[in-house]
Amino acid sequence: MWPRRIETLLVFGAMFLFGCALLDVHAQRSDAGHGVQRFMEYCAGCHGADARGGDKAPALVSASNTTNLSDSELFRIVHDGTKGGMPPFAQIGDANIRAVVQFLRSLEDSAASKSASGEATVTGDVDAGRTLYFGKAQCSTCHLMQGKGGFIARNLTAYGRDRTGDEILHAITAPDTPLVPSSQVVTVTTKTGQNLTGVLRNEDNFTLALQTEDGRYHLLARSDVRDVRYTEHSLMPQDYSTRLSQKELNDIVSFLIVASRSPRPDKGEGR
Amino acid sequence: MTCRAREAVLPMSKRRSTRMRFVRRLLIVLVAVCLLLVMHAGSGYGQTEQPATHSAGDHAKAPDDSNGLINVQQSDLLQRQVTDNWVSYNGDYSGARYSSLTQITPANVGRLAAQWVFHPRVVAPLEVTPVVVAGIMFVTSANDAYALDAKTGKVLWHYVRAISQGLVGDPAQHHNRGVAILGTRVYMETDNAHLLCLDARSGHLIWEVPYATGNQNYGATSAPLVVKNKVVVGISGGDRGVRGFLAAFDAETGEEKWRFWTIPGPGEKGNESWPGDSYLHGGGTTWMPGTYDPDLNTLYWGTGNPAPDYDGAVRPGDDLYTSCLLALDPDTGTLKWYFQFSPHDLYDYDAVQTPVIVNTRFKGEPSKLIVTANRNGFLYILDRTNGKFLFAKPFMNTQNWAKGLDEKGRPIPAGLTPDENGVRVCPANGGATNWYSPSYDSAIHMFYFRSLEVCAVIQTKPKSFAAGGTYYSTGTQSVEEIGKGYINAFDLDTLDFAWRDLQIGRNKVWSGVMSTATGLVAYGDDAHNFVILDGHTGKPLWHFNVGQLIHASPMSYAISGKQYFAIAAGSDVFSFALP
Repeated sequence: MWPRRIETLLVFGAMFLFGCALLDVHAQRSDAGHGVQRFMEYCAGCHGADARGGDKAPALVSASNTTNLSDSELFRIVHDGTKGGMPPFAQIGDANIRAVVQFLRSLEDSAASKSASGEATVTGDVDAGRTLYFGKAQCSTCHLMQGKGGFIARNLTAYGRDRTGDEILHAITAPDTPLVPSSQVVTVTTKTGQNLTGVLRNEDNFTLALQTEDGRYHLLARSDVRDVRYTEHSLMPQDYSTRLSQKELNDIVSFLIVASRSPRPDKGEGR
Repeated sequence: MTCRAREAVLPMSKRRSTRMRFVRRLLIVLVAVCLLLVMHAGSGYGQTEQPATHSAGDHAKAPDDSNGLINVQQSDLLQRQVTDNWVSYNGDYSGARYSSLTQITPANVGRLAAQWVFHPRVVAPLEVTPVVVAGIMFVTSANDAYALDAKTGKVLWHYVRAISQGLVGDPAQHHNRGVAILGTRVYMETDNAHLLCLDARSGHLIWEVPYATGNQNYGATSAPLVVKNKVVVGISGGDRGVRGFLAAFDAETGEEKWRFWTIPGPGEKGNESWPGDSYLHGGGTTWMPGTYDPDLNTLYWGTGNPAPDYDGAVRPGDDLYTSCLLALDPDTGTLKWYFQFSPHDLYDYDAVQTPVIVNTRFKGEPSKLIVTANRNGFLYILDRTNGKFLFAKPFMNTQNWAKGLDEKGRPIPAGLTPDENGVRVCPANGGATNWYSPSYDSAIHMFYFRSLEVCAVIQTKPKSFAAGGTYYSTGTQSVEEIGKGYINAFDLDTLDFAWRDLQIGRNKVWSGVMSTATGLVAYGDDAHNFVILDGHTGKPLWHFNVGQLIHASPMSYAISGKQYFAIAAGSDVFSFALP
């Protein structure tokens, strides 16, 4: 009996050590790309995919409560959480936390270079941009702007804050890079044969919440779903770079920046 | 047979050599290692790929069986029977908090089971009553609003803004009691008294109006009430020297349509109680949703205590319109009538408890009534067409502040005037009941409410109003550690109690009651239990330990024929249904 126990211990010990070694190998990866991945995995759900604030937590880009902290202070916050409600992330491992901190620093660098040149430069025709936004470009069909417009896509009222014109242009002409998870369009086939295409607002192992363009939520149990096709795209048109001229694009960008400067008491956003 | 077979095999295995065993286990290790590698490579480290389908067992009856489309019409708000949807703080305009759903009965309620728990980002005990429309639940906590799948508690959207700094009193605790809804929009109040209009489909902010200015002690904790095309909001700050008001805003544009000041200004009737500029600090706040009778086109809304709370010397007379029920024209904000429960209140007896609209026979005559249990220890029945006092019933055995009521319902004071030494007053400043909801079962004419028997020593010391501070003019001392709490059933046919269920515990709970068409009464008790009892007898039928003190009132809703009860408890929202 005794030798077999030793043997069993050896077997499970070996498995455990190998598992730890695997984790450790990955924990050593702390390049910037790694930080992006870790951020998307652990932080984006609350702080937003672009770290500009999400539905549960504040913006981290150029926020003084981030930039004023040392790396070790930031590490400690991620590791231990905050009294304000952020949970501790000690369980993801020190190397992953360091990678996230590194990623945040890289964001600050880009934000700093932006602020060094003052407010985002506006070179287009703001009035023409507004006309395009609510007219030909059909932005307002989906996006809310200062209380006017659609609901299916992001509220753009404060979008132009803390963003450069180039970043906004990129978001218009190369949408879905990165794809915000709650904006992804999916097609669901239910076991009764119903086909639904809409925006994936929430999903887990057991449920799936889809919102179709009429605003209706389809709240499905996975056990009732035959197939889900993830399009890896949002509803944002992919062809603005050809549908609109460079001038028109610039006008819309300019409008978004200027509109975001109009005084609003709060930046709170849904979703 | 299986066991026998295994027993037969074991001796065989024992005969195998230790070498064979070692080789076998080595193989297991290798296979395990390979599996780990394969799983790891497949996961694409850091990616959270979703499985295309998942066979794990959720047991919803049919796919996509909730409507999911939010578009609340006036007819929905005017519903006379509360069934699947719970469209406002109290479920309907009557304030009865009575569900006509019948799936859960006294016979099967024992099988009720928790369905889900939702934990919002929160800084204070939740006081919200969820609103449910088309299978979507709307809840608020602090300055947050959420849309949830009411079947699972999963978040569909979340509107968030930072809590406000520099507030005083209740709003500084960031309590919020929920949303109002019309069309595709939800409305909520922020802690610093801004009215927000959000798109109910996305949670995006459409407009907001800061609706209380000129006194930093203003704040808001209530749920708005939509009446026709207006959103009516009240205000908090009555213990901190604000001037109370009720205001209505255009639901589409946010434009202010009317404002009724509960403390009359110079030249107005009742201003004689408010010398100098004291009307600016007179209290009379409106911190709970009112009720509405569409047939009489009348809005009923309770007002809070006068300020300063305990020093009446600086506010001679009745102190209109504090501790009152107001009947207002919802189109114009014009006062139709008022009834003052506690004239010249000295004990913090707000009258914001829900004024329930009841249509029944009163002493044999079909009557349009308001029934309300007041913080001052009396249950009142009023004629809601004109505010005439019809009946009162004291419900606190130790009540000592009034010798009784006269024929017009005006209290006959016992002469207990707080001074620097203090006077013992029953009920205590916290009231013989409070904002937690009452309920009226129209089928059996039973009015349910929670009450509390507790006294306090109230002292006073003159003080001036100061921004950023309270305006009680001193305070209170508890004289009993443990009060006696009751869940009461008052029978409108006999005008007497059908039963009074004495609650065990310290009675620190702040949970209201609701009732259903199957004769169930739901509430939270002092031991963190969500309880359902038999409304006919008061006998408890079922309870569930939610593990935290309940500061909210329950509601019920249904999706595809399945009835749920929901209640906010401590920091979480719970939902229950039959298996």
